[in-house]
Amino acid sequence: MFKKILIANRGEIAVRIIRACKELEIKTVAVYSDADRNAMHVMLADEAYHIGPPKPAESYLLKEKIIEVAKKSGAEAIHPGFGFLSENDSFAELCEKEGVVFIGPSAEAIRLMGDKITARKIAMKAKVPLVPGSDGAVTDVEASRVAEEIGYPVMIKASAGGGGKGMRLVNSEDEFEAALRMARSEASSSFGDDSVFVERFVQKPRHIEIQILGDKHGNVLHLFERECSIQRRHQKVIEEAPSGFISSKTRKKMGDVAVNIAKAVNYYGAGTVEFIMDQEENFFFLEMNTRIQVEHPVTEMITGLDIVKWMIRIADGEKLPFKQSSLKIKGHAVECRVYAEDPTMNFLPSPGTLQYIKAPAGPGIRDDSSMYSGYEITSYYDPMLSKLITWADTREEAIKKMKSALLEYIVLGVRTNIGFLIRVMDDEEFKKAEIDTGFIERHPELLNPQDIDNEPALIAAAMIMNNTISGDESVNGKATGSNWKLAARKMALRGSNEI
Amino acid sequence: MTYTFKLKNQVYKVNIEEDEDINIVEIDGEQKEIRFTKVDSNLYSVIIDNESLTIGIFKKGKKIQVFYKGDLFEIEAISDRDGSKAGGPGTGLEIMSPMPSRIVKILKEQGDKVEEEEPVVVVEAMKMESELKAPSTGKIKEIKVSEGDTVEEGTILVTLSPE
Repeated sequence: MFKKILIANRGEIAVRIIRACKELEIKTVAVYSDADRNAMHVMLADEAYHIGPPKPAESYLLKEKIIEVAKKSGAEAIHPGFGFLSENDSFAELCEKEGVVFIGPSAEAIRLMGDKITARKIAMKAKVPLVPGSDGAVTDVEASRVAEEIGYPVMIKASAGGGGKGMRLVNSEDEFEAALRMARSEASSSFGDDSVFVERFVQKPRHIEIQILGDKHGNVLHLFERECSIQRRHQKVIEEAPSGFISSKTRKKMGDVAVNIAKAVNYYGAGTVEFIMDQEENFFFLEMNTRIQVEHPVTEMITGLDIVKWMIRIADGEKLPFKQSSLKIKGHAVECRVYAEDPTMNFLPSPGTLQYIKAPAGPGIRDDSSMYSGYEITSYYDPMLSKLITWADTREEAIKKMKSALLEYIVLGVRTNIGFLIRVMDDEEFKKAEIDTGFIERHPELLNPQDIDNEPALIAAAMIMNNTISGDESVNGKATGSNWKLAARKMALRGSNEI
Repeated sequence: MTYTFKLKNQVYKVNIEEDEDINIVEIDGEQKEIRFTKVDSNLYSVIIDNESLTIGIFKKGKKIQVFYKGDLFEIEAISDRDGSKAGGPGTGLEIMSPMPSRIVKILKEQGDKVEEEEPVVVVEAMKMESELKAPSTGKIKEIKVSEGDTVEEGTILVTLSPE
C-alpha cells in the first residue's frame, strides 16, 4: 500500500480524502494557495506545501508544480478529488510519465468521456439510449437550426462542460441568441473552450445516476443509483440514495447499462454514469463523470462501502473482493448541500467571514465540512459550507432526520440556504418523491416565504442591545443596569473561576 | 428601554425591561417573559414565555444578525431620529453589484434607453455569470465601471435617469 499521498484539492473533499488516508495509515500531503493558508485541509494533513496565488489557474491547476511537490515530499500517488485536475487527462498522463500514481481512471478513459460528443458516440455503441440533439459541436447558425428542428425547449451545453457551467435552458427562439452568447462566454472562461452543442430538453426530467467502481483487473460493479433531481442553476442541491421513484427492474437495467459504458473504456476507479429520466422511467445517457462525486456519501451510507478508500486501494492494484450479487441496498440516505448563498436572490453566493458555525450531530447524521468559526469564505472557490447527510431505515425517516438536523445548524456571518432546505424537507411533493429538476422553479414559496415568525429575532435583538450598553458584548445573563452591577458581576465570575 | 429595529425594510419597536432574573419584553402590544443565558461565543439559550430556543447572535455596531430554525435575520438598530428614513436606500434608479464580482460585459452605453428588466451589465462571481437588469424604464445616466473591473458588494455600477 502507498506510504504517502498528495491531495491535489481543497475544501471538504480534501478533508474527506485526508481522513480516509489517515484511516489507511497513509501519510498525507496538502497543497494550498494564498487564500487557503488557514484552510482545514492544511491543518489536518501531515505536510503542507504552498503552491501559488488564490486563482485556481495559478495554484490548484498547476500540473507540473503539483507533481514537483509530490516528488519533493515523496508522495507515491495523487488524489485529485473533484473539480480542478480531477478530469484532466493530460494531468493523469503526466503523472504516469513522472512515475506518480494518479488515483482515478486511465488518461484515455478521462479523455474519451471528457468530451461529451465522444462520450455520446461510445454510449451509442454500447446501445445506451440518448437524447436527440446536434451531432457534435455547432456553429451559431447550425445551433439555431438544430434547435428549430428538435423543437423548443432546448438545452445549450458546453462540450467541455460540467457542473452546470456553460449550460443554458432556452424556452423559445427569441431567447436563443442571448443564451448562446452567455453559454459560450461561460464555457470559454470556465474551460478555455467555447464549443457548445444543443439537445432536446426532456420535460419534467429526473436526474438519476449510477455509481461505478472498477478495478485494474477488469471487474466493474455498480453501487446502485442516486437521485439528484433537486437542482438550482443546473447544480445539485439535494441528493438521495436509492431513488424514491424507480422500480427494481429499472434499477437493474440502468446498472447494467452503466457497467457496459464503463467497460467500453476499460474503466477503473470510482466513476458515475449520469442519466436523465422522464416520468415513465425512460432514461437517457447524459455523461460519465470520471472522478469521485460530491454526493458520493449517500451511496456510502446505503452500501456500507467507503468509496474514497476503495479508490486508493484500486489505484494500488487491489482487486475488488466482492461481487455484484453480494451488494445490497440498506436503508435510505439523503444529502443536503449547505451553501453560503442567498435563496431570496436566485441563490447568489454570499462570501464573507463565517462568524460562527455549529453543525448538528446525532445517530445517522454525517456532516462533511471544512468550515469553522472565523473562517473566511472567499469568492475564489465554491461557496459550499458543508454536505449534511442523514441515514435511516426508510426514506420518510431519513427526511425527518434531515429536517431535524438542519434545524440544529447555526450559521452567522454569511447567508445560507438552510431555511430553504428545511422547507423542502417539509414539502408534500418532495415527501412523496414527486420531484424533477424543475422542482425549485415550481416552488418559489420555498425560497422566500412570507410567513416566517420574526418575533424571536426581534426579541433577541432587543436582548443583545440591552445587554451591551456598557460596551461589553459578552456579558452573560440579564440586562446590565449600570457599570457598578457589571463590575460586580465580572468579579463574581472571576471568583467562581478560582474555586 | 425601547429599541427601534429595521428588518426587511420594515420598522419594529421593542421595549425591554429588566426585572431581577427575567426580562419583560413588549412587542406588538404583548408582554413576554424572557430568560436567556449565553452558551458560547455567539450561541444563546433563550426562553420566551416557556418556549425554549437556541439562537445564534452576532452583533457588529448597529447591525445584528440573528439565526434560528434555519433562517438568518439581518436586523439594524436605528435611533428614532433615523426612523423617518427607514424606508431604506435605493431610488430604483441604479444598478448595484449584489456581491463581490467581476464586470464581464456592459451591454449599454451612456444615453441608451432601457426598459424595465432589460439586461444592462453581465457580471461574474464564483465562476457563474449573471445579468444585472434595469430596475425601471429610463435612460443610462452614467456608467461608473469598465469591463474587467472587480467590484465590491454594493458598488453602484450604472445610474439611470427617469424618462
